[in-house]
Amino acid sequence: MHSSLDLFQTAHAMARHAGARQAVVAQNIANADTPGYQAQHIAPFKDVFRTHANAEIRATRDGHMTSTGQIAMDAVAMASKAEPSPNGNTVSLEEEMMNSIAVGREHNRALTIYRHTMTILRTSLGRN
Amino acid sequence: MTDFSEAMSVATSGMKAQASRLRHVSENIANSDTPGYQRKVVAFEEMVERGRRTGAVAAGPVRLDQTELTRVYDPSNPLADDTGHYDGSNVNLLLEIADAREAQRSYEANLKMFDQVRQMSSALMDLLRN
Repeated sequence: MHSSLDLFQTAHAMARHAGARQAVVAQNIANADTPGYQAQHIAPFKDVFRTHANAEIRATRDGHMTSTGQIAMDAVAMASKAEPSPNGNTVSLEEEMMNSIAVGREHNRALTIYRHTMTILRTSLGRN
Repeated sequence: MTDFSEAMSVATSGMKAQASRLRHVSENIANSDTPGYQRKVVAFEEMVERGRRTGAVAAGPVRLDQTELTRVYDPSNPLADDTGHYDGSNVNLLLEIADAREAQRSYEANLKMFDQVRQMSSALMDLLRN
């Protein structure tokens, strides 16, 4: 754990992912009444992280940089489940509210993991 | 951090747009008895900056509703023609109230979003503090 600090990188990626997702949700809510607007979304962290882990660049030496902690986070148009409103808008405010809460919790979780990892490190250094 | 500030500015743009919509609704309601008044409508559009969509929203140009004006029968009115009718406004109060309520809901959603982003960024700040 102490040599690579993977946990920090994962927590970092998760917090960044939550931030990016929140930005997209904010965009959707702001455009909830814009005619013809297509709702956007970012895939959940577990999917993004898994696809990234499969396509991981292999490092041949310890010092080499790998791309851990940098995951693809592009907003894509959401496949609309519900009927679009008469003006062609596909945003559902209720769904976006749910997403926003989920994202808030994801962010909190990431920060908690980060804080606890830090505590473990401090403990092992004997500065608790 | 840029995600957060971006989300905040987008939520702010949403609140601004809804507020301007609400302003036009109140103009319409205030003028519902003005002879010859055509109700104003605003459509929202996505903002584009340097050819790139920012995701923010803005109230578009004001247009006048072209539906026919109501004919009011009042022979004593100075504006009345030979048949005793004059042109009223085409404001439908029920429509305006519904519009105002929708604007309020969307405004609240944007405000909620702003608050959520603020909480997230302050949680991040707390992490740095201790």
